Amino acid sequence: MNKGLLVARHEYIETVRTKAFWLGLLAFPIIIALGIAVPVLLEKTKEPRIYAVIDHSGFLAGQIEERIYRRDLHTILAVTSEQKHESGSTFERLPQILRQFTNTYLSLDEADRSGFVDATAEIANGGEGRNLEGEVAEFVAQGDRKRLWAWWQAASVKELDQLDLELARHSFRRVEANGETETPVADLNRRVSAGELFAYFVIGPDPVAGSAACKYVSNNLTDRDLLDWYGRLATDVIRAQRIEQEGVDPEVARWVHESLIFEDRKVGARGADQEVATQDKARQWAPMVFTYLLWIAIFTSAQMLLTSTIEEKSARIIEVLLSSVSSFELMAGKIAGMAAAGLTVVASWVCFIVLAVIIVPLATGNPGALGMLRDIAAEPLYLFSFILYFLMGYLFYAAILVGIGSVCNSIKDAQSLMMPVIIPMMVALFALVPISRDPNGTLAKIMSFIPPFTPFVMMNRAAGPPAIWEYMTTTLLMAIAIYGAVWAAAQIFRIGVLMTGKPPTVRQMARWLSMDRAGTTPRSQEK
Amino acid sequence: MGGMSDAVQLEGVVKRFGDHVAVDGLSFSVPTGLIYGFLGPNGAGKTTTLRMLIGIFYPDAGRITVLGQANPAAIKARIGYLPEDRGLYDKMKLGELVSYYGELKGMPAGKARMRAKQLLEQFGLGEWWDAKCQALSKGMAQKAQILATILHEPELVILDEPFAGLDPVNRDVMRDVILDLKRQGKTVVFSTHVMEQAEQVCDNVLLINRGQKVLDGSLSEIRSSGGRAIRLDYDGDGACLPHLPGVSRVNDAGKQAELFLQPEADSQVVLAGIVEAGVHVRRFDLRELSLHEIFIRAVGGGDE
Repeated sequence: MNKGLLVARHEYIETVRTKAFWLGLLAFPIIIALGIAVPVLLEKTKEPRIYAVIDHSGFLAGQIEERIYRRDLHTILAVTSEQKHESGSTFERLPQILRQFTNTYLSLDEADRSGFVDATAEIANGGEGRNLEGEVAEFVAQGDRKRLWAWWQAASVKELDQLDLELARHSFRRVEANGETETPVADLNRRVSAGELFAYFVIGPDPVAGSAACKYVSNNLTDRDLLDWYGRLATDVIRAQRIEQEGVDPEVARWVHESLIFEDRKVGARGADQEVATQDKARQWAPMVFTYLLWIAIFTSAQMLLTSTIEEKSARIIEVLLSSVSSFELMAGKIAGMAAAGLTVVASWVCFIVLAVIIVPLATGNPGALGMLRDIAAEPLYLFSFILYFLMGYLFYAAILVGIGSVCNSIKDAQSLMMPVIIPMMVALFALVPISRDPNGTLAKIMSFIPPFTPFVMMNRAAGPPAIWEYMTTTLLMAIAIYGAVWAAAQIFRIGVLMTGKPPTVRQMARWLSMDRAGTTPRSQEK
Repeated sequence: MGGMSDAVQLEGVVKRFGDHVAVDGLSFSVPTGLIYGFLGPNGAGKTTTLRMLIGIFYPDAGRITVLGQANPAAIKARIGYLPEDRGLYDKMKLGELVSYYGELKGMPAGKARMRAKQLLEQFGLGEWWDAKCQALSKGMAQKAQILATILHEPELVILDEPFAGLDPVNRDVMRDVILDLKRQGKTVVFSTHVMEQAEQVCDNVLLINRGQKVLDGSLSEIRSSGGRAIRLDYDGDGACLPHLPGVSRVNDAGKQAELFLQPEADSQVVLAGIVEAGVHVRRFDLRELSLHEIFIRAVGGGDE
């Protein structure tokens, strides 16, 4: 076997045996799986935010409570109607009052349903009932409404979970404000400090007039969900009151309040505009994800090559190897072996995407979130670019890092010499988002032609996609840059690899480049 | 100089590193089938010269012929080289590593494996075949390095400071390997800065200092050309020793001294003088000069 290939095989096998390799290989599927599982888990384990309300207006807190109740009733109906529809057994497990409520609701005409729920909610909170007829009136009778309200107030989160119902209290739970002390504010402040309360609201004496004396008190300044949610409910109630107070027709008010909505469309292949589908968005964002993966793959592979070179140097193996292979064979073999290891990782990621796209729908009968992945897998430009740009970027950076590794005796030595490599890598990373937003912008176009950035930028622009001439020119430039990098690395490698002691400066290494043969290659045969 | 039977020939070889001249016009030849010692102090240019023999470095001027080839890199498979800086891959298994070194020398994988197995068995490392190199003791690692060097049965074996850092057991292993190679008709070139080692095993030696040849030839020739000396073990006051008739110089260590004789001196007269001076003689040994002394003289003479 060719000596360079032997070295490459050795480098590959040794790399594949390291833990780092397997971490890299499994990182992607694990990250994807975690990316799907963690938000769900976090949401599930999130404790409800506990809050209290001091209501100086005397009505607002109660009306907000009613709105929460009404929303929850809608949520409940959505679930229970479905259960009733599907099979009897799940529905039969519901408390009797819920079944009755659902049955009445379903027995109504579509048009009456919303009014029925509103009426149920209003009356339960002590308001005036509306004039409803027949079956509806039956349910809206005082006793049933009170039973439903009592059930809603008493239902624990655990009980609701068993019934598959997710209500507002899963996220936000109100507790009573008046403690035993005479000053509720002092008591609430103490409870907020102690962490018993997440926050409390103070409602001013006349919220319809304005926001005077309305307060939200919390020590958590990052999670604004409670404030947003409660604020929206309060605003809704206040608006309704103002509309009523001013004698505005509610229909008019709703119409005034309506937003103008722009439909999200794009220009399709035929030149006409068409609807934007989810997969279009996925297609737009996928290149950025691929670029990020590319960045990770290139950087870790090149870094592993640096480490393995330094290890061979510090373990004093290099000279033994040089008695069998030339320094170029050694270097090229190492670069090739690590390239194969890197490609194995990258190819496994690609296979993972393709397999996930094929297997998951087969197993679950539902592509779900993987629909996005399927669209990406069906886009050969992305997968092809991914592999091609991995190879190009890897070769460029690997050559530089193997050159650096060859003059270093420890990872520490390498750190200062790495600076010129780290900076372009960081720039490429920072340019990730701006370029994905504007794949055919000036920044993207210029950076495409700068070889250290070419692989990352061109991958990122794949959604554009760039013109054919851009692909050809940048690839040509990249090939020249790779050739230059490998040539320079070979010059430095053959001298550096036998050096011990303090590593040379960048300037010294630059001088080696101009050394014609540096005494490590035979002179032309002289007679 | 030299003939077809020379394994190595150098003619006017020069090697510079920047402004530093590491090897300065060196010429010598190593006859096939001999053990050739490469002697000189640290920094004399030994390692640089050996690296040129294996094609890691190339001379700036002059000619090198190794096994009849002008470019040693072309025949790396016929040469075994053990550098002074040597190590093993910590994470590799011993058997795989030794086989890998053999394959790098051009052996077919199967043959490399077989031969590695056989050599490791022979030198008591057989049961370590599947052990990772980092599990080996320092002595075992040294032995493994020696074996890896000769695995592919090279015609020429180049050893840079082969005895440096070896424990006494491995020093004997090393010596036996060298002698065994000679018995098989192989040529061995090794460097050392410890003259006593060279005196034990070398057929021929080259003394080198500051990149230049000081002396070369067969060990017996060199030693016999250097004159005679007396090794004296004694008790008493050695102050009289330098003034004895026929003694040119004394290397006195207190209880032991080396007395260098003028060419026409009579050792009997010297002995009588020592006894007369009241020095108690425990041992009196007339012999040729040590390589060390020859080297010191040659270098000293060169400086004048």
